[in-house]
Amino acid sequence: MENVWQLEEGEVRKPGIVHVVMLALFTGIGIVVGTFGSLAIPIGFVSAFWPGQAVQSIGSIWFGWWGGIAAGLFPLISNSLSGSAPLPVSIAYLPANLLQGMVAGWAFRRFKTDPSLPTGKEWWVFILWGALIPNAIGAAWGTTMLVAFGLITQAAQFVSFLGWFIGNTIPTIVLGGLVLKFVSPLVVRSKAFCKGYWA
Amino acid sequence: MNSEAARVSTTGRTAKARKTLLGYVPMESPFYAFHPATRLILFIFLGVIPLFIFIPEVNIFLLLINLALLRWGKVDVQRLKIYMPIIFTVAIFMFTVVILAPGRDPSYTPLEVLGITVFYQPVFFTFAAYWRLIAMLFGTILYFSTNRERELLVGLRALRLPFVASYVVGLSIRAAGMFMEDFRIIREAEQARGLDTKAMRFSDQVKLYMMYLIPLFSIALRRANEISNALFARGYTLTGRTSTGQPRQDYIRSTYSYSKRDFVAIVVMVVVFVATGLAQIFFDIFAIEHSPLNILLRQALEIPS
Amino acid sequence: MDPAIVFRDLQWRYEHRKNFALKGINLEIGKNDFIGVVGPNEHGKTTLVSAISGLIPHSYNGIYKGSIEVFGKKVFDSDALELATNVGIVFSDPESQFTAMTVEEELAFGLENMGFELAKIRERIEWAAEITLIQDLLDKSPYDISGGQKQRVAIACVLAMDPPIIIMDEPTSMIDPLGKNLIFEILRRLKEASEHTLIVVEHNVEQLAPLADKMLLMYEGLVDRYLPTKEFFADPSYLQARGVLAPESTEFVQWLIAEKALPASIDLPLDLAGGIEATHQALQRRSSS
Repeated sequence: MENVWQLEEGEVRKPGIVHVVMLALFTGIGIVVGTFGSLAIPIGFVSAFWPGQAVQSIGSIWFGWWGGIAAGLFPLISNSLSGSAPLPVSIAYLPANLLQGMVAGWAFRRFKTDPSLPTGKEWWVFILWGALIPNAIGAAWGTTMLVAFGLITQAAQFVSFLGWFIGNTIPTIVLGGLVLKFVSPLVVRSKAFCKGYWA
Repeated sequence: MNSEAARVSTTGRTAKARKTLLGYVPMESPFYAFHPATRLILFIFLGVIPLFIFIPEVNIFLLLINLALLRWGKVDVQRLKIYMPIIFTVAIFMFTVVILAPGRDPSYTPLEVLGITVFYQPVFFTFAAYWRLIAMLFGTILYFSTNRERELLVGLRALRLPFVASYVVGLSIRAAGMFMEDFRIIREAEQARGLDTKAMRFSDQVKLYMMYLIPLFSIALRRANEISNALFARGYTLTGRTSTGQPRQDYIRSTYSYSKRDFVAIVVMVVVFVATGLAQIFFDIFAIEHSPLNILLRQALEIPS
Repeated sequence: MDPAIVFRDLQWRYEHRKNFALKGINLEIGKNDFIGVVGPNEHGKTTLVSAISGLIPHSYNGIYKGSIEVFGKKVFDSDALELATNVGIVFSDPESQFTAMTVEEELAFGLENMGFELAKIRERIEWAAEITLIQDLLDKSPYDISGGQKQRVAIACVLAMDPPIIIMDEPTSMIDPLGKNLIFEILRRLKEASEHTLIVVEHNVEQLAPLADKMLLMYEGLVDRYLPTKEFFADPSYLQARGVLAPESTEFVQWLIAEKALPASIDLPLDLAGGIEATHQALQRRSSS
């Protein structure tokens, strides 16, 4: 099967309005998914079920850094709408949210992994780089920020980390995997799909 | 009749509310006399100032100010019920964790409460942190209960956010609304074909919701093409270049104007914010040790300061 | 008078498709003409108008051969701003065209892109709102109004920019009958003002034909027929074989001619009033014979 990341001979891809629009639409999707997740099973500052991270990974896999930017942007709004984090805390989460999104996009391009996850090998790349590593980074950073803002004690950090990590990872693997499997064939044929990081 | 308006009864009076993506906002409110930028600054003020304040009484006072502003702003407080679960679960989570995992510090004072050993200092710290969080949360609730998406965008642009960035924020919010509408249509279509979600197990409901995302992502792809075509057809360029060569005007922002009350409000907020920040950073005025409740409890429990 | 639009052997194939959607279009459209574009689905109508507006090739990937010129400048060499200044397009799905929070913002958006001053923007918004009867919708969200209202807002957005060429791609396809009538009433007013070149893609021939100066039939990616309206409908069986029905009044009068109730030289009607007049004539001939 042809590699979806490969540029065809003579193919020129440039960032355009469609990418900015896709950034906005994906942010919108993330707002809804993130708000729903935060309100679904809240356990304090973390949610036991936050499928928003799936949107973060999927976004950067399909749309490169446009999806990465959306990954950082939508939690600012979804956290405010759901009340799960005040604005300064959401802003402090920003680096982690950006990384949570971008890691998957980087890995899929680096390892030339087919986003439609046709075999077990692609699934493992997704589980590791699309779910486990981003959520470990996100949970570590996020709980550190909660301690720094005095919203949780140092002693509570590990429990919060576990809740954050598990609450994000499981829905990411299930939801993200399903969406990548069934929707990627459509996406790779669209003009918004990014073979590189910006186009 | 305005199709967006909903009649809402509050304590025997009938008030009208307008539905926005961000929630419901009152049709009339004294807040609307202020420029959107002033309201956005209020949001930032109420959302950030509790970070400097570790005295729970002061944060409770801020919370009461928020509630008073909600009332003054004619917000239907019944609609704020959706935040109740998170307010309670945050409290349950925070206090459960601090009781079960208080940390180790020789200066902590153990207390026996209903047969459980708790430590005073981390519990009081958690109590103070909780009210800090709630005060910040209600600042956010106040903002989103009194501002439409349009005012958010005007506020952001008034604070000099570049047009492209504010356009992305606006389109994101609009996309969230479209997404929710598409989701509702898909659900209705399934229910029309006999799907009864109430009879399903929770895990099946979760699977069902997750499967909805597949057609919704496909719809998003189509919308991206359509919207980018619409932007092209309206002559939008990412560089902001115009056909006349003149700078791009902001028509909607021009329909709002500042008044004396805006300047007064902004000056007051800035002064209070700076004063609070300086007072805490240089003089520790809002430190938890200065909480009257903390002092009272320590005296009552004979805990040395 | 120089034509507004000139096609020179335009060919277009979409990316990922095997066949060309446009197979060599040669066409001239005059200034201030009202052109009705008809034809079966998937035969190139939308592609044709997308090529005029510049969406092809600027917004779609594919193979582009030949050229189109709008007021003497090649579409391929023009950018979004130049094209939007000259060509406005209304799509069939009104909702896909909206990106702003209120109708007023939606109307202002294109005008802001063009760099107009605030006073002019205000003036254009008021004018466009008046023509399309949406004055009381300005403060509403474009997503919370009916389908007919949405399409009128979409038309108002294009009118506000006042481009010399206005394209409408199946503007009534997603609208109720009353809404359709309002849209065609707007088209009638625009035609009377005679200040724009209007190109309307429609399946609703009944209401389109009385307004159009010329009709264009797109069939299998080519311009199959491009004639003044009455000549266009002179051969209904030819059109029917290509999926286009003539207006009922036209067909009825053609039947009367075939039955020798009317002379072949009679002016074919395109609307109900013309059909009634022709029927009166037929009845008078019959009573006098």
